[in-house]
Amino acid sequence: MSSDLTPKIKFRLNGIDMEKEVPAGWTLLRYLREELGLTGTKCGCEIGECGACTVLMNGKPVNSCLVMAPQIENASIWTIEGVTPPGGTALHPVQKAFIECDAVHCGFCTPGMVMTTIGLLLQNKKPDNSQIKQALAGNLCRCTGYIQIFEAVRLAAAMISENDMRPFRENISEN
Amino acid sequence: MNAVETLNPTNLAQALKAKANKNVVAVAGGTDLLVRLHDRITQPWPKLLILENVKELHKITVTKTAITIGPSMTFSEIENSAILRKKALQLVTAAASAGSVQIRNRATIGGNIANGSPAGDTIPPLYVLEAILELSSAKGKRTVPIEKFFTGPGKTVLKPTELITAIKIPNRSNHGFFMRLATRKALAISKVSVAVNIIMNKSKVESAKIALGAVAPTVIRATLTEEYLRGKEINQAIIDEAARIVQDEARPIDDIRSLAIYRKEMVGVLLKRGLESVTTNG
Ligand SMILES: Cc1cc2nc3c(=O)[nH]c(=O)nc-3n(C[C@H](O)[C@H](O)[C@H](O)COP(=O)(O)OP(=O)(O)OC[C@H]3O[C@@H](n4cnc5c(N)ncnc54)[C@H](O)[C@@H]3O)c2cc1C
Ligand code: FES
Ligand code: FES
Repeated sequence: MSSDLTPKIKFRLNGIDMEKEVPAGWTLLRYLREELGLTGTKCGCEIGECGACTVLMNGKPVNSCLVMAPQIENASIWTIEGVTPPGGTALHPVQKAFIECDAVHCGFCTPGMVMTTIGLLLQNKKPDNSQIKQALAGNLCRCTGYIQIFEAVRLAAAMISENDMRPFRENISEN
Repeated sequence: MNAVETLNPTNLAQALKAKANKNVVAVAGGTDLLVRLHDRITQPWPKLLILENVKELHKITVTKTAITIGPSMTFSEIENSAILRKKALQLVTAAASAGSVQIRNRATIGGNIANGSPAGDTIPPLYVLEAILELSSAKGKRTVPIEKFFTGPGKTVLKPTELITAIKIPNRSNHGFFMRLATRKALAISKVSVAVNIIMNKSKVESAKIALGAVAPTVIRATLTEEYLRGKEINQAIIDEAARIVQDEARPIDDIRSLAIYRKEMVGVLLKRGLESVTTNG
């Protein structure tokens, strides 16, 4: 059993294996932003209410402000930076759908919205309107009034293929 | 946050040994602890015991007579468990109605119990399902019925050297429901919740167990209402009277989430709605 102020842990981040010393008392949100420079994940409330900090942990949307950095040992984490296919300049279909539907206004909520949408579509390829609303209930938006966001999720569901989703499926348990 | 030392055990024996040190704080999903730390309600913990990799605590086992739920099972996992959907619908409904997707993916049943809030949503269902908690330390284990676990808001009989290591409910079919009322459907703590487990003998109530959340210092049983319903054939007049009796069993307070007078009224309304749905669904 390891015990440390900066435990060295293994995890996967955006599909890449990592072995890093992480500050034990930091949240995953702070670690991503301040240590790894991945500032796409936004810091809103830091108490689990706004969803701006949403990342995928083993394929499931979680608030990175409520995860301690050392808790990601052996986990697979995806942030918004990993969503765009590597190398190219292309966007992921979920990102395209958000743009297409004018679902991005100030954009602060968008990375969290996109991650939650991917989490939903991993579990449910054709969500109905009430399932979409329920899935996004933990992501607040101060600008759009949500209508365009719900539309974007519907459009994304219509556009994505299994290829677009496969990378995020690693480490998903049956539940 | 200050310097923190983390302990990351990979099995239960290691975890219990680490917990023998009273200054070690266990973290399961962290959805209560990290909020408390952020709001400075808790001092930064010196030593943090991460339960994430202790597999023994993260499973459901089923025998003929009992269903044993590991404390690290998340609300999402409870929501999706086939056996719990069949045998503990009250618990499944409660888990499914809490927080948001993100919270349910992290929040654990053990954390909900240990946190000891009278508004903890999984607790009223566990009262009416007659859950037994297994509490373990490096020295051994003991069992405590869930109703004996809580002594006040945020206060429990759990010793600093103990962990909740199992939550056991009987493996049997039941009728019942869980209902809650909160400011909005998602991301709001319950103002009032009601869980019911009812056993019918033909058209008569053989026994009814009723638990009320967020209307007293701990979750409570509504024993007078239970007594009233026993042996009765359920009809509208009986339901209305039960809803009246249950209001007087609630002992709510005024707080930031609601007023006592409203909570009392709503306990009655939730019980009424639930009993009506149980009787119309057979
Ligand atoms: C935005 C938000 C919304 C929420 N909505 C709801 C809601 O609708 N309904 C509801 O009931 N709750 C809600 N909560 C509260 C919280 O999510 C739950 O209480 C959850 O079940 C806590 O579990 P956890 O694993 O995250 O606990 P943690 O924060 O990890 O731990 C909580 C406490 O339990 C102790 N503990 C954890 N596991 C064990 C164990 N095995 N043995 C002994 N002690 C243990 C910890 O030491 C700590 O004291 C919400 C929280 C947030 C932030
Ligand atoms: S910053 Fe994490 S939920 Fe708001
Ligand atoms: S676009 Fe501004 S918060 Fe959602």
